[in-house]
Amino acid sequence: MKRLSFIFIFFISLNFISGQEIDNDLLQIKKRMDSIKSFNANIELDVDISFINMPTKYGKVRYKQGESTKVTSDDFIMLPKRGLDLTLNEIFRHPFITVNRGEEYHKDVLCKVINIIPTSSKANFSIATLFMDVRAKRILKSEISTKTEGVFTTSMDYKNYMDALPGAVEVQFAVNSVKIPLRFLGKETEVDRNAIKKEGSKTGKIFLTLSEVQIVK
Amino acid sequence: MISLIRSEIYKIRKQSKTLYALAAILIIEGFVIVSAYYQGTGIIDLLLANLKDSFEFKGNLLNGNLIIYLILNSLWFHIPLILMIIISGFLTSEYKDRTLETVMLQPVSKLNFILSKYVVSIIFTLLIVLLLAVSTFLVSYWIFGKGDLVVYLDGLNFFESEEAFYRLIYAFISGANSMIFFSVVSLTLAVILKDATKTWIVSAIFLICSNLLLKIDFQNEFLNELFFSKLTDSWQYFFYYKIPYSTIYFKNLMLFGYTLITMIIGIIIFKRRDIQV
Repeated sequence: MKRLSFIFIFFISLNFISGQEIDNDLLQIKKRMDSIKSFNANIELDVDISFINMPTKYGKVRYKQGESTKVTSDDFIMLPKRGLDLTLNEIFRHPFITVNRGEEYHKDVLCKVINIIPTSSKANFSIATLFMDVRAKRILKSEISTKTEGVFTTSMDYKNYMDALPGAVEVQFAVNSVKIPLRFLGKETEVDRNAIKKEGSKTGKIFLTLSEVQIVK
Repeated sequence: MISLIRSEIYKIRKQSKTLYALAAILIIEGFVIVSAYYQGTGIIDLLLANLKDSFEFKGNLLNGNLIIYLILNSLWFHIPLILMIIISGFLTSEYKDRTLETVMLQPVSKLNFILSKYVVSIIFTLLIVLLLAVSTFLVSYWIFGKGDLVVYLDGLNFFESEEAFYRLIYAFISGANSMIFFSVVSLTLAVILKDATKTWIVSAIFLICSNLLLKIDFQNEFLNELFFSKLTDSWQYFFYYKIPYSTIYFKNLMLFGYTLITMIIGIIIFKRRDIQV
């Protein structure tokens, strides 16, 4: 009897999952994001990684619907592999289901938290958690577990209540210390190999500040 | 004194070893440029491999500034070795060719003679470093262009092109002081040993030991800060993200003191010793 009830519950659950709908609030946000056909902005990049010292870099960011976000600069720049997708185009590209995780505060704003689970193997992430400001119809934070590039946590700050695109973005990720080709970079380079091994991966952050944002809808 | 310096400069100009020195400098430069041209991209990829999981890179790090930095690193060993061999030859060749006896038969004071040797050695060293710097900047920028400089020193340090340019210039200036020290040491060794081969061997050993001692922690603050081998790397400090100017000034000043002491020792020994070949 117990075995029969388990099978019954299992099939009921399976049916529930397969029939799960996409969160309505997310659809509202997606609709708002999809209305952005393209945008251009100036971008300021600051790197916060313990073993990297880099001055503030400047560039231009350009987005066109259906294409990936492009950043250009006269200088050498390091861009996070995730976090520049301000319209969350990459997340919505392949079919997915959503799971409601309740509500949580993020920077004093009560957010609706949902998980996005892709249903297509083509998606390059395994799960994403979104913190949605339902009233302002925008995402405040995302945690994306990629299949090959680790976990990226993106936190977005907006200049005012109306903005669809953030004015500042903080991207957090795990990063391993660098390998040093001693012969190339000079023998003065002192490397504490044990310390590097112990350190393992570290948390790195990149801060992006957008200005002069021009949106085409 | 001036006429002695002129005469020494004339001798250097006429000596074939001067051309060998210049050729050696340019060959070292050529080797670094050719190896960077063919292997540079691969090595930068290796350096940044761990970061490639999280980052995309835009821009070119294999540029003139990196090449200049790599050539600058020849100040650790190659350039001082060449300088020590050539400069010790300024005196050992005089012993070998017995021209020293001829000079000393003239109304020339031993002090002025050896002092002019030291002065010309310093001028020669400065000219070699200047040649290295000018040719390196011209060729590197011409072939590889300008761009951000990446250096691994207490972390990965990135410098914008203009900042890298002035840091490299200052490093060459500070490096010139270190080269002067090694040149003066080699001339003093030539005063002591007289023989060219012996002087070359001892100079090379001195340079190797100096490089090795630079890495050794003496477990003593006084030795770690004031021992001569710990003072020859001041030029490298320009590639810390925040330049420790006080350390650089201190090291250069102390090394200049060591240079003067070495020179005085050489002068005293030369003056006291009879000219015997």
